[in-house]
Formats: sequence, C-alpha cells, structure tokens
Amino acid sequence: MDYFEPKSLDEALSLLAKHGHEAKVIAGGTDVMVDIKYKEEPGCLVNIKKISGLGGIQENGGSLRIGSLATIRDVETSSLVRDKLPVLWESAHQFASLQIRNTATIGGNICRASPSGETLAPLLVLEAKGKLAFSEGEKTEPFMSFFQGPGKTSLGTKGLLTEIDVPFPAEGSRGVYLKHAVRGAMDIAMVGVAVLITPDAARNTLQDVRIGLGAVAPTPIRASKTEALLRGKSLTVALLKEAAAMAAAESSPISDQRSSGEYRRWIVEALTRRGLEQTWKAATGKEVA
Amino acid sequence: MSVTINTKINGQPISASAEASTSLLEFLRDTLEMKGSKLCCNTGECGACTVIYNGRPINSCVTLAADANGAEITTIEGLADGDKLHPVQQAFIDTGAVQCGYCTPGYIISVKALLDRTTKPTAEDIEEAVSGNICRCTGYNKIVDAIHLAADRIAGRA
Ligand SMILES: Cc1cc2nc3c(=O)[nH]c(=O)nc-3n(C[C@H](O)[C@H](O)[C@H](O)COP(=O)(O)OP(=O)(O)OC[C@H]3O[C@@H](n4cnc5c(N)ncnc54)[C@H](O)[C@@H]3O)c2cc1C
Ligand code: FES
Ligand code: FES
Repeated sequence: MDYFEPKSLDEALSLLAKHGHEAKVIAGGTDVMVDIKYKEEPGCLVNIKKISGLGGIQENGGSLRIGSLATIRDVETSSLVRDKLPVLWESAHQFASLQIRNTATIGGNICRASPSGETLAPLLVLEAKGKLAFSEGEKTEPFMSFFQGPGKTSLGTKGLLTEIDVPFPAEGSRGVYLKHAVRGAMDIAMVGVAVLITPDAARNTLQDVRIGLGAVAPTPIRASKTEALLRGKSLTVALLKEAAAMAAAESSPISDQRSSGEYRRWIVEALTRRGLEQTWKAATGKEVA
Repeated sequence: MSVTINTKINGQPISASAEASTSLLEFLRDTLEMKGSKLCCNTGECGACTVIYNGRPINSCVTLAADANGAEITTIEGLADGDKLHPVQQAFIDTGAVQCGYCTPGYIISVKALLDRTTKPTAEDIEEAVSGNICRCTGYNKIVDAIHLAADRIAGRA
C-alpha cells in the first residue's frame, strides 16, 4: 500500500486525481482503519491531517463554520455549538466513547455517508452545506443533495470536503436529536431522529418544522411529507399521532442484525412523536392539546 | 510501503519504520515490543488499547501508526516512576479493581487522562471517561472505587 501525507489541499487533490479509485482518504481513521483490518487495504492511503486550515470551529456571520478535520470531541466541547446548535451538539455528545470522539472527525462522519452517521440527520434539519474541493475547483453543496447512497456522495473518488457551514436556526426555534441504540451512545444508532421547529410570533402554530431521520433509508432523509402536514398548524394530540405515523411511513428501513425494519418503523414513530412533543413544549411553553 | 515514524513515547524520542497500514497499537506492540497496551477487539470498541495521544485518550487500534509522527504518546509503561507505581495503578490494586487484568492498562490510561483534567471528577465525568472501556471480570463498582481513591490521593485528600 502506498502512503501520502499531502501538506496542501492542491497536493491532496492532485493525488486523488492521479490515483482515482485506488486512493482512500483517511482523516481520523476510525472507519478506515477498521476497513483496512477487516475488509481490504486500498492501493494507496491519502492522509489529509497534515493539511493546514481544515480544522477549527468559528462563527461566521449568521452561521458556524466547522472545519472537516474538527473532531467530534471538538464539536461536543465547543460552547458555540452547544449554545447555537444544540441539535448538532446532542449528536456529538451521544457519539461512541470519549476515545472515539477524540479521534473521529466530523468530515469523516459525513463522507462515510453511512445512513446511521450520527451528525447527518442534525445537519439535514439545520440545512447545512458542505464546501467541496476538486482539482477543477470548489463548490458549495447543501447536504440535502450530497448523500447519494450508503458510502456514496457527490464527492465521488476525487473530491474532498473542506468545511461545513451550519446556519444558526431562527430565533425562538427549538431542536432535539434522539438516538435509539441498544447500548446507548457506544452503539451505532438503530434509529436517529432530529426535530427542529420554529413557532410563529404568537407561539400558537408551527411556522417551520424540520424532521431528519437517520438509519432508516439508504441515506439520511428529511420526512418532507410529515413536515408539510404540520406546517402552519397548532400541534394537537390527533395531529401529533398522524404526523408520527406519517414519518414512519416515509422511512424505508432495512432489517439487519441490529433490528428488523418493522421495529425501526415503530421507533421512528415513537421518536418523532417524542421529538415533536418536546420541541413544541420548549418553543411554545404549551402542552400538546 | 514503509514509513519512518519519529515520535515521543513516555518522554523518549523514538524513531522506527513500519508498513504504512500499521496501526499505532501494532507499532507499539510488534515494532517496539511494548506489550503493555493490549490487543483485544481491534475495532475501537473495548478500550484495552487506550493510550494518551497529545493529552487525549484514544484507541491505538484504530489510529494510524504514521499519525504518531511528531506526536507525544503516553502508554501504560510510562506511568510508574521506577518501582513506585502511579497513584492510579496503586489505587486499582488497593481496591481490588483487577481480576484477569486484560482491560486494566486501558482503564488506567483512561483514568490517568481523566485525573490530568480534574482531580475532583463528578459521577458524570467518570462515566464519560471510562465509557469506552469494557471489563468482563470485576464489575464496575470496584473500578469506580479505584478512581475515587486515586483522585483523593492525587489531590492529597487521602
Ligand atoms: C467503536 C466505534 C464506535 C463508533 N460509533 C459511532 C457512532 O456512535 N456514531 C457514528 O456516527 N459513527 C460511529 N462510528 C463510526 C466513525 O467513528 C465515524 O463515522 C467517524 O466520524 C469517522 O470519522 P474519521 O475521521 O475517523 O473518518 P475516517 O475513517 O478517516 O474516514 C471515513 C470516511 O470518510 C472519508 N473522508 C474522511 N474525511 C474526508 C474528507 N475531508 N473529504 C473526503 N472524504 C473524507 C474517508 O475516505 C472514509 O471513506 C464508530 C466507529 C467505531 C470504531
Ligand atoms: S483493542 Fe482497541 S478498542 Fe479494543
Ligand atoms: S479484569 Fe478481566 S477484563 Fe477487566
């Protein structure tokens, strides 16, 4: 196996352009090292950790810029993330062990494009965008269109994710991330649900509702029909029930060793209900009537 | 392809070569013959291979050995001062937090990293610090007792 440690983005991109399918990018390595040991060694490894400027977390006008090499622990311990993006903070907090959080990067979590990737449903409801670099140039792409299937993204084999731009949610909005796993944070999510709502000025109706579902489709998804059903309405017991069932119907989970598809649908329903209930109460100060 | 790794382990500068795909754990155990860090799951789940990397506990089995280049690493071999055990090691013995001992180096490293951050850990801090370490023998109460005892001794409370 060949090994490269590019010092600049340009050098990394030309290595990827040259080695194409043979090349594997490695950041923290918590996914890649397991693949090397248990699946197969790539033809060459391109370690991007020596490229400067790919880390850090900074406020940038109305959004947060997170470098792709920021670790999950960096995200979890950032007071900016905790204060302004609690939905994302929760997913970093419920992410594996301290040892893994100290190593795993947010860029690696995104580029792995696992349907169960912890930060993905939160990034979808926050309407975050990625900055993608190719040898031909850069582009910014919303994560809504970035994920194309398990392990497949619009980066293909030649691009690098350099940073993530997460707009701050509207004033008065409330969000939660709920993870269901057998062994709590240590386990890969069986289902992850992110809910972000913004009430109207009078705090009577749902002006905006965003529901992100993880681990229940080939990519993380937004439950857009459910969102449309809820938008502009006041959250009643009957509506809550209908919405939770609709979110479950919008998911298309597989059955695997972690659980059956049917069970996952039940969990989507339960977590969507819980997420909507919690955020409604927090945002409006009212019970679901 | 072989890579040369220049690193500092337990305060000692070390230079050695290894195959590029080598993990930090394999580098420690097989290249440097430092067998204190244990190989168990080899997938980042159990914590037996925990080392301190630039001040932070990590799983050496899912870390690339090449990432040791320019880094400072502390392993279990670096804790004792001659014959005098580190307070965390001594506390594990005194509370009986060891049975087969296979998980112990990883625990001790995680706990050392915790007590380097704070000598007054809360129950939450303790849970977070060792949530990535699995012990199949002792049950966790004695390990928690050991953590409190070590914290008290380091802070001069016991
Ligand atoms: C024990 C254990 C527990 C885990 N628990 C969880 C969990 O609870 N939740 C969860 O979501 N994940 C979990 N994971 C999976 C993994 O830790 C995460 O996906 C992590 O965020 C990957 O980041 P990394 O930096 O280690 O990625 P790497 O392994 O370095 O890379 C991951 C993938 O992304 C690509 N890549 C990385 N960075 C870039 C970039 N900037 N541009 C383009 N491509 C890039 C790599 O080529 C590779 O395909 C766990 C893993 C282990 C071993
Ligand atoms: S051997 Fe590394 S975590 Fe188990
Ligand atoms: S003492 Fe045996 S695994 Fe912990």
